[in-house]
Amino acid sequence: MNASVTAGTERAGAATAARTGAGFSLGRALRVTEKDLRLGPRSPIFLWAILLPVVLTFVLTAVFGTLFAAPPRLGIVDAGGSAVTSALRDAEGLVVVEVDDETELRAAVEAHDVDAGLVLGAGFDETLAAGGQPELEFFVSGSSLTSDRVILGVTTVSVLREQGGQSPPVDVVVTQVGDADVVPVEDRLLPLIVFYAVVIAGMFLPAASLVDEREKRTLDAVLVTPTRMSEVLLGKGVLGGSLAMAMGVITLWLNGALTGRGPGVVVFLLLGAVMVAEIGLVLGCWARDSNTLFSAIKGGGLLIALPAFFFLFPALPQWVARLVPTYYFLGPIYEMANAGTTLGDHLGDLAIGVAVCVLLAPAVVAMGRRTERRAAITL
Amino acid sequence: MNAAIVTAILRKDLAAFRRDRFYVLITAASVVLYPLVFWLLPATVDETIRLGVAPGEVRDLLGGDAAAQGGLDVVAFDDVATLEGAVDAGDVVAGLAFPADFVEATAAGERTSVTLLLGAATPPELSGTMRAFVGEIAYAVAGQAPPVDPRTEIVVLGEDRAGDQVTLREQLRPLLAFLVLLTETLALAALVAAEVQQRTVTAVLVTPATTTDFLAAKGILGTAMAFVEAVLITALIGGLATGAPILLLALLLGAMLVTGFGMIAGAYGRDFMTVLFLSVMFMVPLMIPGFAALFPGSASGWVQALPSFPLVDTIVRVTTQGAGWSDVAGSLLLLAGWCVASFAVGALVLGRKVARL
Repeated sequence: MNASVTAGTERAGAATAARTGAGFSLGRALRVTEKDLRLGPRSPIFLWAILLPVVLTFVLTAVFGTLFAAPPRLGIVDAGGSAVTSALRDAEGLVVVEVDDETELRAAVEAHDVDAGLVLGAGFDETLAAGGQPELEFFVSGSSLTSDRVILGVTTVSVLREQGGQSPPVDVVVTQVGDADVVPVEDRLLPLIVFYAVVIAGMFLPAASLVDEREKRTLDAVLVTPTRMSEVLLGKGVLGGSLAMAMGVITLWLNGALTGRGPGVVVFLLLGAVMVAEIGLVLGCWARDSNTLFSAIKGGGLLIALPAFFFLFPALPQWVARLVPTYYFLGPIYEMANAGTTLGDHLGDLAIGVAVCVLLAPAVVAMGRRTERRAAITL
Repeated sequence: MNAAIVTAILRKDLAAFRRDRFYVLITAASVVLYPLVFWLLPATVDETIRLGVAPGEVRDLLGGDAAAQGGLDVVAFDDVATLEGAVDAGDVVAGLAFPADFVEATAAGERTSVTLLLGAATPPELSGTMRAFVGEIAYAVAGQAPPVDPRTEIVVLGEDRAGDQVTLREQLRPLLAFLVLLTETLALAALVAAEVQQRTVTAVLVTPATTTDFLAAKGILGTAMAFVEAVLITALIGGLATGAPILLLALLLGAMLVTGFGMIAGAYGRDFMTVLFLSVMFMVPLMIPGFAALFPGSASGWVQALPSFPLVDTIVRVTTQGAGWSDVAGSLLLLAGWCVASFAVGALVLGRKVARL
């Protein structure tokens, strides 16, 4: 052992001895939380944790939510206030846009701003009611899907028949076949959005804060006071966990997944916040510097995000998702939001999730001790 | 500006870049992952509605094989039980179970009843269309023509892409090419921030190197890194198959554009976290035109006002519409204007920062 290490170990021993009289203090831990909360808004990660879930909610639902289920769009120029326009507006599965004149409609159809365009001349309804054949122009965008052209064509003819007084010589009885509980794509995205909201705040914030304090040596300064490493870890964990909870609730609310399922969802959000905060503290103690932390999160991020992708693709073998600890809060939240299950249906998941949190605690303590020893050596 | 000094600074920066595991990892991952994601996406667009009918003879009433050309793929089933099974399994989007005497009864003016089978995966909005389908079949059998039929004189505006639609893969091409450019913004910003924070730039400037040499080196490095990677990935995703000279110019201008933003982020970045945050703040709005390209129709006015729009517009028009130089000249000019602006602001901000050190 060289001289500097020996001296460092002696100082570490002295520092520990100086604190021996003082036990664990919740007050000091909360002061660490308060300090981080006060300084937090200056940190880009703090702002990231708040902004990113909102941006992700917008981007993911806007892009994927409507991309896979974009309804056919019909532009109408209605010179005479025809009842056909309002009937088409009421037809399910279409988006109707009224346009001022034919030139504008042609431009919109050609640019594929609408899939098709309909021009109803003045007196259209009167001619139709009189049994005549009113003039009608129908433009189709070259970029529109063939299936959309069929839907728009058939729906328009059906409305025209109805307005012309014809009624179909057939009754249609609708029967639902099989399980009607298929979850739309936009709802299957929910776990992914919740995952990012909880992980950025709960894991990234304490981890980045610990690494930052080590890089700037402010952690060393804190540890020469009576504050212990366990209090620093608790303080940072509480802040990360609280922010994760808050962002989780906000994200669920933004996605309309909180109504009527509040208590159960909040319990699992709390479980998730504690779990990711513990992982964040372990990572923060382990990572040598910011680059290592980012590389670790980039590499391991996909693994802990895995359950979210399994919800997105239900055809995948779902048991694989259960091998990842984050499933035990993402899974129940997804089920409660989409299948209407309750807290009572997920007691098994809750027990496993709590067990994961309990098992992570010794790892947090061990990594905290290692960090404290290293800090003492460099003092 | 001294070319030898600029080259020396460039060599030093490249060595620093190679030493940084994080950026080397990001770069390597981009080269592998972006093309992988691209080639995993669907290569075709399903334009047909797959509809099951029973009994099988009714298929002819819907046009049989000809219907598939018109966006409707009618599959015949012998009995209702088999049809229900197909709907449940999602093999067809919906099923129509006609009574055995449907044709005879309808033709004789008798009212019949048809069962519309909707599966769990059937989009709810298709229910109305399916009802209309059944009505149209019945009208056709009963010999009742509509008072006016817009389908008889359809005017197709623009190039008719029926059966040859732009796939999701092709729509994502500009976004992927642009994401690569943006990733390199982060790399340059971090290199610049490190120089500023560690004050190595002051060490460089006590040599015969001038601030102009320093800024030129950073500009060339950022542009070269972004351009080379973007070209490599665009080639790997088959983006250079048509209009390669136009795309190369567009990517070069795009690389210069993001370099300007990289200089700004690097000049203000205090540490790694701040650099990341500032880069993301630039990246998010700049990515919007790429996302907008995924949606049908023209982009909103405010999207067209973003600096990255002319780049995305050029890539989209060249790769999906086969546009030539004259078609995209306006976009390229606008992009060049944004490049000059962002590069000038980036150089000004970084130059002032360096001068204050």
